[in-house]
Amino acid sequence: MMNEKLKASFDLVEADDKLKESTLSFIKKQTNGYTGKKAVIYPYLIAAAACLILLLVGGNILYFSPTAEISMDINPSIQLSINRFDRVISVEAHNDDGKSLAESLDIMHQNYGDAVDNIIKEEKIQNLLSDNEELTITVVGNDDAQTDRVFAELEATAKEQKNTYCYRAKTEEVEKAHEVGLSYGKYRAYLEVSAVNPEITAEQIKGMTMREIRELMNSSAEGSESHKNNNNGCLNNCNGNGCTNANGQGNGQGNGR
Amino acid sequence: MRSEQEVVRAINQYSDTVRRLCMIRLKNHADSEDIFQTVFLKYALSSVAFKSDEHEKAWIIRVTLNACKDFLKSFSRQHTVSLEELIDKPEEIPPDFRYVLEAVLSLEQKYRDVVYLHFYENYTAVEISKILGKNVNTVYTLLHRSKQMLKEKLGGAYDE
Repeated sequence: MMNEKLKASFDLVEADDKLKESTLSFIKKQTNGYTGKKAVIYPYLIAAAACLILLLVGGNILYFSPTAEISMDINPSIQLSINRFDRVISVEAHNDDGKSLAESLDIMHQNYGDAVDNIIKEEKIQNLLSDNEELTITVVGNDDAQTDRVFAELEATAKEQKNTYCYRAKTEEVEKAHEVGLSYGKYRAYLEVSAVNPEITAEQIKGMTMREIRELMNSSAEGSESHKNNNNGCLNNCNGNGCTNANGQGNGQGNGR
Repeated sequence: MRSEQEVVRAINQYSDTVRRLCMIRLKNHADSEDIFQTVFLKYALSSVAFKSDEHEKAWIIRVTLNACKDFLKSFSRQHTVSLEELIDKPEEIPPDFRYVLEAVLSLEQKYRDVVYLHFYENYTAVEISKILGKNVNTVYTLLHRSKQMLKEKLGGAYDE
């Protein structure tokens, strides 16, 4: 008897349709329409992670992309690559002297102005300059605002220094220099010299100081005024074809480019 | 992952069972919605291949009881519950049936489980022991005691 009563009593307890339907729609949502894909949070998480990675990679790329180069040659030949934020991101050497100089430097991530100043201040460099050696600074970049800016600043720096010269050049010309194993400053000089002295080789130039190269050029050239007059000289837009000095005398012939 | 078809079928087939289990396990009607969602979502996501309807039903019961247990863990226990809180429309149930249900609900939870599973679902003590994960002898004892208690509560009018 109790059995039946119990049974009858529980029979009256039922799930209503509303409950069944709300459960059904809940499940549909949770399983994303029975496709087994997880709930909505995933797409957002993935998007956020992707953004973060993009930022990191992008930032990395932005920071470490070289946008201009500064070549410094006395005898030690080194080349600084700078990024769009005007920071030094690499230092390369183009000869043995340059290697030992580069290794002794601690200028990574510095502003290029500070870096160049620091290099010039180095005892080694100061000694060389006092010995009448010449420092050639070449700013290499495309025709853009940064190159203009960098060139203007280094030009001013060069003016304040003894025996320091400053030029600017384009990227393609630098590639040619690298092909023969010279930094751009020396390559320019090499081109000038070989215009009047075709037998000179890049190898030889590599081992010479800027002053020696200049002297060689002077002695090889005919009737040219000594460039040594330009102690505070800075010549604009020197390209591989030679340069003009204050007297407006062209020197060297079109070569390459 | 089961199909919508399968889930609909399961809901239609077992909703009442789940509802009744919720009644004897929970404190109020609104909470059963939670249990429903948990149980049937688990069903939708599970990959168990049921050997029979009985197998499936036993699975549903176990999952429901576990869901209720988990649910209660997050709330403080009340000593007694009234039928009003546990059923959507208690006024629709005739008085003497209400009386019976209330008697069942006045028992401790461990007795409520066996009363429902045995007297309503007709499971044997052995089957109940498997569902609840209890020792068979324990189940026998629980059944015996609950029968006695109900007899007392419902008056001598009822006998086996």
